[in-house]
Amino acid sequence: MVISLDLITSVISFLFTLLILSYLIGDNPLFRIAVYIFVGVSSGYVAAVAWWQVIMPRLIYPLVYGSVLERSFIAIPLLGALLILMKIFPRWAGLARIAMAFLVGAGAAVIIAGALIGTLIPQISATINAFDVNSASVRNISVVEVIFNGAFILAGTVFTLIYFHFGASPKADGSMRRLGLIETSAWVGRIFIGITLGTIFAGVFAAALTALIERISALINFFGNF
Amino acid sequence: MRVLTAVIAIAAGVLIAGGYFFPALTDVQTLLLNWAIILAGFATLVGIFNLIAVHTGKIRRGEKGSVYSALLFIALVATLFFGMILRPDHSTMKIVMNGIIIPTEAALMGMLTISLLYAAIRLLRRRADMMGIIFLVTAALLMLGSATLPFGNIPLIGTLLSPWVTQILALGGARGILIGVALGTLTAGLRVLFGADRPYGGT
Repeated sequence: MVISLDLITSVISFLFTLLILSYLIGDNPLFRIAVYIFVGVSSGYVAAVAWWQVIMPRLIYPLVYGSVLERSFIAIPLLGALLILMKIFPRWAGLARIAMAFLVGAGAAVIIAGALIGTLIPQISATINAFDVNSASVRNISVVEVIFNGAFILAGTVFTLIYFHFGASPKADGSMRRLGLIETSAWVGRIFIGITLGTIFAGVFAAALTALIERISALINFFGNF
Repeated sequence: MRVLTAVIAIAAGVLIAGGYFFPALTDVQTLLLNWAIILAGFATLVGIFNLIAVHTGKIRRGEKGSVYSALLFIALVATLFFGMILRPDHSTMKIVMNGIIIPTEAALMGMLTISLLYAAIRLLRRRADMMGIIFLVTAALLMLGSATLPFGNIPLIGTLLSPWVTQILALGGARGILIGVALGTLTAGLRVLFGADRPYGGT
């Protein structure tokens, strides 16, 4: 008798869903078993992916099959990799700092570019474009509506940013207070932050509810197939 | 060693960041990013080795919950063994992905529904101030607005209020938060590039 891979997948999927949903009756050993196995399996899978999809094509293959120039270029990350592996041995762990410094520097450069090109410039441009009256006819709304909406978006952006300004000066009684104007603007900013977090909460809740419905539906379908 | 690590971090950071703004540095940037990806792959392996070391230590000492550590160890080693031999895209490895990883993640995500609901009720009981009320009223309004009801959308809430809150008010707040996060990220990155922060252990 040949058991299909789909059947094995369905049975394992059913079991793990049931074990995880057992948390509804409280923390219990079945839930913990599922979570620990999940962490183990995920880590093993990530290690296999890192080996086959990163280390093999980018380091091992060029080292074995590459030209002399490619091999000489790959010698540096190979040395870095050996230094990182030194972290496994406490006595030599300090050597890994050299490779970690390179990784931190590269990471810092990537996040600087990401923050600047990926967030700051597009978000500021979008805030300015919210006042683009030419878009009114394209979006089939009035110019007044464009300016009204743009003003609310701008106010939300500015007041929210002001809320995170924590610079304060000492008062006569020794207490530290923000300037009155900043304090008032920050109060308005709190309203916008509350609305934004409420919106994010509703979105996450809807996504979680969808996942729960999908899992319950999978459990019912599993029984339906037999 | 401290000077060497700082020089490496700053040089790598400046060359890679430069590649985003000066086309002449693009080739150097690509080469350095490739090296960084390789090193990140090895750092992942070291991290997983550390996970194995922590849990085998627990098993050896017979600590409370060492049975769970044993399960984790067996699951990790078995998946790693088959993953290395068969490769991650093999049909057997797909059982691991479709049978364990995806269903468990989806079920855990589903469990979040209960946690979020519980947290919202606790918030109302413990912190019924302006911020808490605005937060919960917004969430409730949006959920009502997006709910599929037998008679369609709820008038005013589903058609006018909900889109205006998400597309105008929440957009403004989210944009402020995003710009704030980006400014913070930019500062943190620049501090590393200037050598003011040395999280690689070169204080």
